[in-house]
Amino acid sequence: MIEEIPLLSLLTFLPLFGAGLIMLVSMITNEKFAKKSENSSDREAKQAERVLKSGMLITLSTFLLAVFCFLLVDFNEKGFALVEDVKWFANVHYKLGVDGLSMSLILLTTFLMPLCILASWNTIKKRITEYVVAFLILETFMIGVFVSLDLVLFYIFFEAGLIPMFFIIGIWGGNQSVLASFKFFLYTLAGSLFMLAAIVNIYMSAGTSDIVALQNLEYVLPNQIWLWLAFTASFAIKLPMWPVHTWLPDAHVQAPTAGSVILAGVLLKMGGYGFLRFSLPMFPDASAFFQPFMFALAIVAIVYTSIVAYQQNDMKKMIAYSSVAHMGFVILGIFSFNALGIQGAIFQMISHGLISSALFLVVGVLYDRKHTREISEYGGVAHVMPYFATLFMIFSMANVGLPATSGFVGELQTMVGAFEEARWASVGAALGVILSAVYMLRLYREIALGPRDEGRLEGLQPMDLREIFILSILAVGTLLLGVAPWLVQDMTSQSTESIVSLVGRR
Amino acid sequence: MLASDFLVSFIVLGSGVAALIGGIVHFVGPQLVSLARVDSDTNSNSGSESREASDHIVMVLTTGIVLLTAILSLIQLVSFSLGGGYTETGRVITLMRWMEIGDFQSTWSIRLDSLSVVMMAVVTIVSGLVHVYSWGYMAKTENRARFFTYLSLFTFTMLMLVSANDLVQLFFGWEGVGLASYLLIGFWYSKVYPNANQITPNSAAIKAFITNRVGDFGLALGIMGAFFVFKTIELGPMLQALRENSFETLSKAQQAFDGMAPTDVVVSFLGTDIPALELIGVLLFIGAMGKSAQFVLHVWLPDAMEGSTPVSALIHAATMVTAGVYLVCLMSPLYEHTEFASTFITVVGAVTALFAATVGLAQNDIKRVIAYSTCSQLGYMFFAAGIGAYEAAMFHLFTHAFFKALLFLGAGSVIHGSHHEQDMTKLGGLFKYQKYTYAAMLIGTVAIIGFGLPHVWGLSGFYSKDAIIESAFVMGQNGVSFGMSAFWIGIVVAFLTSCYSWRLIYMTFHGRDIVEKHTENSKAYDHISPPHESGLSMLIPLGILAVGAIFAGGVFAGPMLTHSKEFWGDAIYWMNGDSVYYGVKKLKEAHSADWVFWAPLTATILGFLLATYAYFVDKGLPLRLSSSGGPLFNMFKNKWYFDELYQITLVNWIRILSNVLWKIGDEKLIDRYGPMGAYRLALAVSRKVKIMHTGYIYHYAIAIILGIMILGGLVFWQMGGGN
Repeated sequence: MIEEIPLLSLLTFLPLFGAGLIMLVSMITNEKFAKKSENSSDREAKQAERVLKSGMLITLSTFLLAVFCFLLVDFNEKGFALVEDVKWFANVHYKLGVDGLSMSLILLTTFLMPLCILASWNTIKKRITEYVVAFLILETFMIGVFVSLDLVLFYIFFEAGLIPMFFIIGIWGGNQSVLASFKFFLYTLAGSLFMLAAIVNIYMSAGTSDIVALQNLEYVLPNQIWLWLAFTASFAIKLPMWPVHTWLPDAHVQAPTAGSVILAGVLLKMGGYGFLRFSLPMFPDASAFFQPFMFALAIVAIVYTSIVAYQQNDMKKMIAYSSVAHMGFVILGIFSFNALGIQGAIFQMISHGLISSALFLVVGVLYDRKHTREISEYGGVAHVMPYFATLFMIFSMANVGLPATSGFVGELQTMVGAFEEARWASVGAALGVILSAVYMLRLYREIALGPRDEGRLEGLQPMDLREIFILSILAVGTLLLGVAPWLVQDMTSQSTESIVSLVGRR
Repeated sequence: MLASDFLVSFIVLGSGVAALIGGIVHFVGPQLVSLARVDSDTNSNSGSESREASDHIVMVLTTGIVLLTAILSLIQLVSFSLGGGYTETGRVITLMRWMEIGDFQSTWSIRLDSLSVVMMAVVTIVSGLVHVYSWGYMAKTENRARFFTYLSLFTFTMLMLVSANDLVQLFFGWEGVGLASYLLIGFWYSKVYPNANQITPNSAAIKAFITNRVGDFGLALGIMGAFFVFKTIELGPMLQALRENSFETLSKAQQAFDGMAPTDVVVSFLGTDIPALELIGVLLFIGAMGKSAQFVLHVWLPDAMEGSTPVSALIHAATMVTAGVYLVCLMSPLYEHTEFASTFITVVGAVTALFAATVGLAQNDIKRVIAYSTCSQLGYMFFAAGIGAYEAAMFHLFTHAFFKALLFLGAGSVIHGSHHEQDMTKLGGLFKYQKYTYAAMLIGTVAIIGFGLPHVWGLSGFYSKDAIIESAFVMGQNGVSFGMSAFWIGIVVAFLTSCYSWRLIYMTFHGRDIVEKHTENSKAYDHISPPHESGLSMLIPLGILAVGAIFAGGVFAGPMLTHSKEFWGDAIYWMNGDSVYYGVKKLKEAHSADWVFWAPLTATILGFLLATYAYFVDKGLPLRLSSSGGPLFNMFKNKWYFDELYQITLVNWIRILSNVLWKIGDEKLIDRYGPMGAYRLALAVSRKVKIMHTGYIYHYAIAIILGIMILGGLVFWQMGGGN
């Protein structure tokens, strides 16, 4: 009975369906109300509330559906579950399926979405309908990326995700947002064109775009190297890796809070997901060939961006740079090719999804009060916002990878995994662990600590229940995963095994 | 069986539960209390009253639980000592899964062996007393709930550290105590000083955290190295393989290093081939250097004195800073095989002991003197461990906890009583006002200088410190490298210890009266109320610690030293089979070198005489010394210029580097010439295109999506049809 329901299609397109519904309803009501001469601002407020509530309902049900899928699947079994396969055109199929890797990222995505809607409750003032619709469309594309089992389908979702994000940054962002959104768009689009070329090439030579089938094909080495490079161009920009990271700080600075949350929480993970799903299993020889190169880039990313983060004056920029450093650990783990490293990398992605989201929300809480992101404008916040100070401390410590927070597990496992392959890589990464404490403690100190200075504290109100709720839920998640990482790692162990065995064919 | 498991788990986890509840009550308590009171009492002052009430709930809760665990772990230690120790390998209580990936298995668990039992007792007892002491010391402070929560959090993480059954849980405790230390040093986060050069609690906290992270860098790499070699991070199997010097019990490692013994394994590390065990040993010890403030990584400890005095006593004297010593002793099966790493430990320990003692001699801040003294005593413990006398190192750790906590809490009582004055040049003559504190400090001093008659009886420090010095002599005779130098340095440091300890007593409690000095110097205050003795909540812990400082050495020297083999059992490994102290015992009985046993005492008495001469007979001497300066004295006073060195080499450079990488690397190079010049392109495009502001977003969005789909579809359809 349950097998006959296309659960994954339902999961993927539920947000899109909801978005359509919201648009439709708001169009109708707008026309209806336009005839009556009611107070327009009052009407808009009601409208905004209604839209946000429906957005909340839709994202929550998507999350529950994802949890349902999660409960349905036995992740100890090999291969993909809940597969749907319909012939689309030519040899291209509409094929969906999940394994532990994709399920963990789907859960992260659907978990963050309701929080994003909640975080936008009183902070987004203009075009609220379009805002919620954009987020819902984005959610469909993000889930689609993770469930696609066909290369073409994957590519469409992967690219389409750019568009709503482009508008989210451009319309609801800061003063320089148009520039930043174009930088973001062009960077990522440029990378994708290489991938498109590679996909065309693969399809022409293999005659199929089925991911599972492609993973079991052997490619001749020179060919592998070009294909690998083309895929990597796209994933490296998405992740982002040094030196193609400079779009990220700008995009984050200009994006609205919820946009930053999704950008850091989910969109970056598509890069890591791509490496794990395509680069390693499909091009094992090329991956092995480029291993030292990727390690080097990862270490440079970790050390370089951690050092750059130290002198930032803009809170969001600092956290964005810190994101790049943390993504370096993901690369480190992925390219160690062993279970420990890859499990660590997957876990690091999930954990970073929670921690960086939380940190951007922390910045959002401050920004909503003082409308500045300059670190020097703050000081002694702990005097008036004690809950905030405590939660911020938890996230800071998670960001520096303190044990018993989720940040530690991923960093440790990726480093231990890389140690087997290259000692110098682990040494470099461990240096990054020192540096993360250097910038993060500076940030915490300059914002939360210091004497009580009424001028700086002006306008700072204690957090309301909504804000406390959002941050607390993320804090609990971070600590829970730090103490019991097996909640995630049990799910991802089988897909890690298969990646390890596929890359082991070299 | 089940009952005892429960009690042991309670010892370790109780403080964690206390911290958790404390944290919750700290936040929700005031609201709940004021809600409950709303009917009966609606005056305007209820806000601070309900905070007061919830503070008290947290204080009672944390103190009660920690005291209970202290009693339990003391019972555990005593029954353990009477029973002659665990003869079989330690028991392990498993609590919960943590990380399980292939061979990388870490579980939340409690390891019970002689090392962890001793450490549990030390931690919970000192912590319990410090909790009680803080009732008095922190009485007028706001946010006491936060303070007590942090104290309990610290106790919990420290207990997790000492009871870890694998290296990753140990690392959890290791960084956890670092966090607690950071939070407690920075407890007064709004404090700033008029003198901008004086380090604030916030800066001191960050300095401590980051310096410790440098150490943790080594420890983490050491753990990775250990996993690389042994294919497990569990202590039991790893240490067993080390004791037997064979991989037979570890099948995975046997596969990887077929036919090799652990000592044969060589790792290529940063371009050179290094014996794996030496590498692991040095890396782990770098971690220990950070946590235990050893030479080069010591800079954070003196500044950590910005934290309140009970915290200094608990964390920065008795427990956390000894974690490094504990780690080295725990890994004794490893260090018995590593000549280089052990020698390195010996040298670093001896240098620290000497260096810190010289600096301690020239400090005027009462807490900094004791801080450097701690640093120096830790040096003693390390060189003991380095030469192989782990039992002496652990025993000194045990006794040191009592008298050093006593000295710190005594100093706290002085500071508390004399209205937050901790500059010894401004103190003086306090014995009139604080008789009990004076007595406690005196006992602490006599204990730390190791006073006692060889072959007869002495205070705690006598047994443990002399055991270290004598062990160094024995091992030096046996040809252990730097053993003999360590022995002589030990004697010199005993002399210096006596000097600075008595100097502290004389400057604080004797000499010209504090009130006299004050009215003379100060124009700002017209009047200072004379110092007062502290209350009972502070004096009782002092009394208990004084008992420990007097008797702990004599009582536990039997099991921990004389019967070290039986007491420590499997927890400490000596490759030769006999404990080092066994050699000392033989030397003592042979009467061939009796001068060795009298040498530390002689040095101590000389130090006492010098200090007495300088402060009673030739009273101008210290002043002349400090005013005339001299390069040596200035070097001591300025802590060998380490802070300045680090400021120039590290702190300034990271700032410059950060700006260079950001402004030049990212903005000038990558954005300009980087991939596709995307930045400039974006700039050009955005100037022209204004679609964002015209609305009709959906049209564009849909157009783009459809465009991509149609384009892609066409391409594939054509290719698919072609095949």
